[in-house]
Amino acid sequence: MNRMRKIAWLRTAFLAVAAALGVTGWRLYHAAQARELALYFHPFVGKEPLVLNQDRYPNPGGKGRFKVRDFQFFLSNIRLVSATGTYLESDSYHLVRFDGEEPGFVIMLHEVPRRNYERIEFGIGVDATANKSLKQRGDLDPNGRMAWNWEVGYKFVLLEGTLLRGDANDPLVYHVGFEENYRPIATEVPRELRHSRLVRLDFRVDILRLFQGATNVDLAALPSVKFDRADAALIARNFSSMVTPMWKDAASQPHSAR
Amino acid sequence: MATGGCNKNPRAATPLTDFSAPFVFGRFQVPVDNPLTEEAVELGRRLFYDPHLSANGKVSCSTCHIQRLAFTDGRTTSVGVSGRPLAFNSMTLANLMWGPQRFFWNGRVATLEEQTLVPLQHPDEMAQNLERLVTELRKDAKYRKLFEKAYGETSRAAIIRALASFERTLVSANSRYDQFLRGELTLDAQEELGRKLFMAHPDVKVSLRGANCIDCHSQFLTGGSSARYDGFSNNGLDDEAHLQPGLQAVTGNPAHRGMFKVPSLRNIALTAPYMHDGRFNSLEEVLDHYDRGIKNSSTLSPLIVEADNRGGAASGRISLHLTATEKVSIIAFLHTLTDHDFVTAERFSDPFARK
Repeated sequence: MNRMRKIAWLRTAFLAVAAALGVTGWRLYHAAQARELALYFHPFVGKEPLVLNQDRYPNPGGKGRFKVRDFQFFLSNIRLVSATGTYLESDSYHLVRFDGEEPGFVIMLHEVPRRNYERIEFGIGVDATANKSLKQRGDLDPNGRMAWNWEVGYKFVLLEGTLLRGDANDPLVYHVGFEENYRPIATEVPRELRHSRLVRLDFRVDILRLFQGATNVDLAALPSVKFDRADAALIARNFSSMVTPMWKDAASQPHSAR
Repeated sequence: MATGGCNKNPRAATPLTDFSAPFVFGRFQVPVDNPLTEEAVELGRRLFYDPHLSANGKVSCSTCHIQRLAFTDGRTTSVGVSGRPLAFNSMTLANLMWGPQRFFWNGRVATLEEQTLVPLQHPDEMAQNLERLVTELRKDAKYRKLFEKAYGETSRAAIIRALASFERTLVSANSRYDQFLRGELTLDAQEELGRKLFMAHPDVKVSLRGANCIDCHSQFLTGGSSARYDGFSNNGLDDEAHLQPGLQAVTGNPAHRGMFKVPSLRNIALTAPYMHDGRFNSLEEVLDHYDRGIKNSSTLSPLIVEADNRGGAASGRISLHLTATEKVSIIAFLHTLTDHDFVTAERFSDPFARK
């Protein structure tokens, strides 16, 4: 009898230990599982969502209204930083573009290890090494529309449209590049991401920020920016405020995983 | 090896091993269901040059795509079996795997395989009934063998795959410009001035003169960009009232009205007349158009309106303001894009021709 009781006890103990190991293992396994993280970019002109090809946005520093025909920019070197390790996307060169067919632009990050990430980092533009190279990495394409020519490198931000003032309808061409204008951005991520419950991050991309400063740019006075380095620097100083996290907006709620 | 859905038997076609393209052309893709093989390319070449592909037995692909003219036909718009002129100018068939992966001037198909179906069946082009064509080809012992080796069967799918395979091998990469890019030669002073103007958007602020070509014709391929519809443009041929649908016919987007595919300028000196409707007979006329013949419209590229070497873009008058010397130099550069190997290569030539 004694022996029987001993066997029953051993069996119970064995099952308890196995269950405990199972739960811990599952937790460890779950924590180690890579998952996908989506970065959503929502285009705005000031408070209004971007609508292409309409003369609707007031000239930030002067008279008239402007129309956006094309808007695209490079976003590079995405990384997620935590105390225990950093996720680096490989060939991380994305041409973020708003063609009006989708409400925004999505970058999917694949195989992101589950960690307590503290911040996300990326650059606006193309870093100096890649900007000098003819290698096709990510969306970089020396035969693409964002390439100037191999002596100059890439346009980092492209904005084309027109400015309507009375009867005059004048072209707007902002092609802003040059390696000194590459802008790294770092922003703290929401707590939910740290606990791996978050599957997407939303960013606001505000075109108007490009022309805002101590005094706003009058598009009639500066209808194009191309190779003049001072002009390029004037627009590029605002690159870092062009892309901002929406989870810091009071109104917006982060999107959680199921 | 990837196999196509139409294959009934596994085949042992030989992958094309000597196929290569310049690094600066960038990535290219061959469809997984139609890998490049020696047998497919050989069959495709024969079909390309065979007038039996048309209803009246007189028109082949090569009727409108002549090798010595870089696979164009020298006509304003092409003429097929009906004798009625078509709506569009014949496009060159060089470097088709790069640039916009939408074909025809208005981009109405998305693969080369699909593209071949249009002229084959169009009543004015080759007016062929494909079922009848397959039956005829099956009766021909030589074709039966070629189809068997390449695709394991004679079928409609095999015909279009073979034609597309041959077209993919039409790579033009040995012009003087290519040799310049490879560091094998230097361009003369006039060509070099033309190259610099071609590759620059003008900027008066930094005293940079440019002809703005590169805004649409990419630096190495000299064709349209491949991403989405970036390789389509309204280049100011018509005013608002005469604007043709162009890409809008495909996308339905009014912002795409009057936009046409930006063609590769490889071998451009051989491919007159120019534009989608063949309206210009010479490169001089083309340069004059871009210099001072631009017609304004709602979808005209702001890059064209803004490009002015005198900086008068906001004056309402559109002009590049190039000098006569600059125009001649740009034309000299355009001649460096002629690839004599491409237009004479045996492997691209008519296999039925008597040697």
